[in-house]
Amino acid sequence: MNRLEQHIGTVLRVGTIASSALFAIGLLLVLGHVAGELPRVLLTVALIVLIATPPMRVVISVIEYVRERDWTFVVLTLIVLLALAGSVVAARF
Amino acid sequence: MNLLPLLNPLNPALTLTILVAGGIAGALGIALGLGGGIFLVPFLTLALGFPLKSAAAISLATVIATSSAVSARRAGSHLINLRLGMVLEVATTAGSLLGGITAQFVAESTLQRLFGLVAIAVALAMVARINRRNVIADPDADSGRLGGRFYEAESGGVVSYRVKRLPLALVGSFVAGNVSSLLGIGGGIIKVPLLNAWCGVPLRAAAATSALMIGVTAAGGAVIYYGHGDLSPMLAAPAVLGVQLGSWAGTHLTNQTPVKWLKVLMAVLLLVVAVLMFVRSVR
Repeated sequence: MNRLEQHIGTVLRVGTIASSALFAIGLLLVLGHVAGELPRVLLTVALIVLIATPPMRVVISVIEYVRERDWTFVVLTLIVLLALAGSVVAARF
Repeated sequence: MNLLPLLNPLNPALTLTILVAGGIAGALGIALGLGGGIFLVPFLTLALGFPLKSAAAISLATVIATSSAVSARRAGSHLINLRLGMVLEVATTAGSLLGGITAQFVAESTLQRLFGLVAIAVALAMVARINRRNVIADPDADSGRLGGRFYEAESGGVVSYRVKRLPLALVGSFVAGNVSSLLGIGGGIIKVPLLNAWCGVPLRAAAATSALMIGVTAAGGAVIYYGHGDLSPMLAAPAVLGVQLGSWAGTHLTNQTPVKWLKVLMAVLLLVVAVLMFVRSVR
């Protein structure tokens, strides 16, 4: 299997498992009426990990395309990251 | 939006309802090859009374989860066309950025009408789904710079394909990204038929490539909703877990389910959703 595909698979798998586990633990703590900030923090971290996973996959792709010296795809993947950065900026206004 | 009493402290009945709804939407999504969003958004707005914006935001979180989980499983099968995906993502993320921004200014009733229109389009596409084969049975055929090849179980060999009409695919991806952010659906319903019918991509490769793309696309939209306080982690949690469980169950069920009558049933359901959305938008 292609190396990039393998790396992407790993990033997506780790992101999925981590966010789902954090969501599950956070939700159980909320439903178990655990006091304090911990449940809320866990759920927020879970959401951030979830949202950050696909962009991480794009970052990995940029690195791999640089390594392969495939400049067309370096530019294309950087444009995708730029659009995502645009979303982060738009989120603040 | 008087959702606050529901959010804080979190109502266990509401959590369970969202979990079950997510599960059903996830299972149906897998069985029909759609995302679950087209079912989850109307449920959250029409049955639970959420504003469309927060329903779309929660649904986008589940779209990301589905995309990552499904693509992680498929990585290595060569079904995902990474190069084509990266090219089209330029268009989907631009569309999603624009959709996320416009969603902040568009009236609730306009979003509802738009959702109604998309639901009708999806229903029609589902009934008249074109199932044309685009594969070239010769594994050594030149598949071009963006084409691909993969092992196809039905024909028992490696097949290859070429990508045609790239500009059309880009325009379609932009629209898909835009609708995805505005309405909280994945957008595969626009890209997959387009890539399959007009751009030469075999159905399974189109679906796998689209499934990878919708994660990044939805992330762009979700960030904007989160920044504006429309995406509550408390409500996203049961929806995401429900959809993950549902799609896991769905993959084990699809093999036995007769998809044909399920499609007709869902098309009817979507038309009902469309009517309800229109009725609500004029109220």
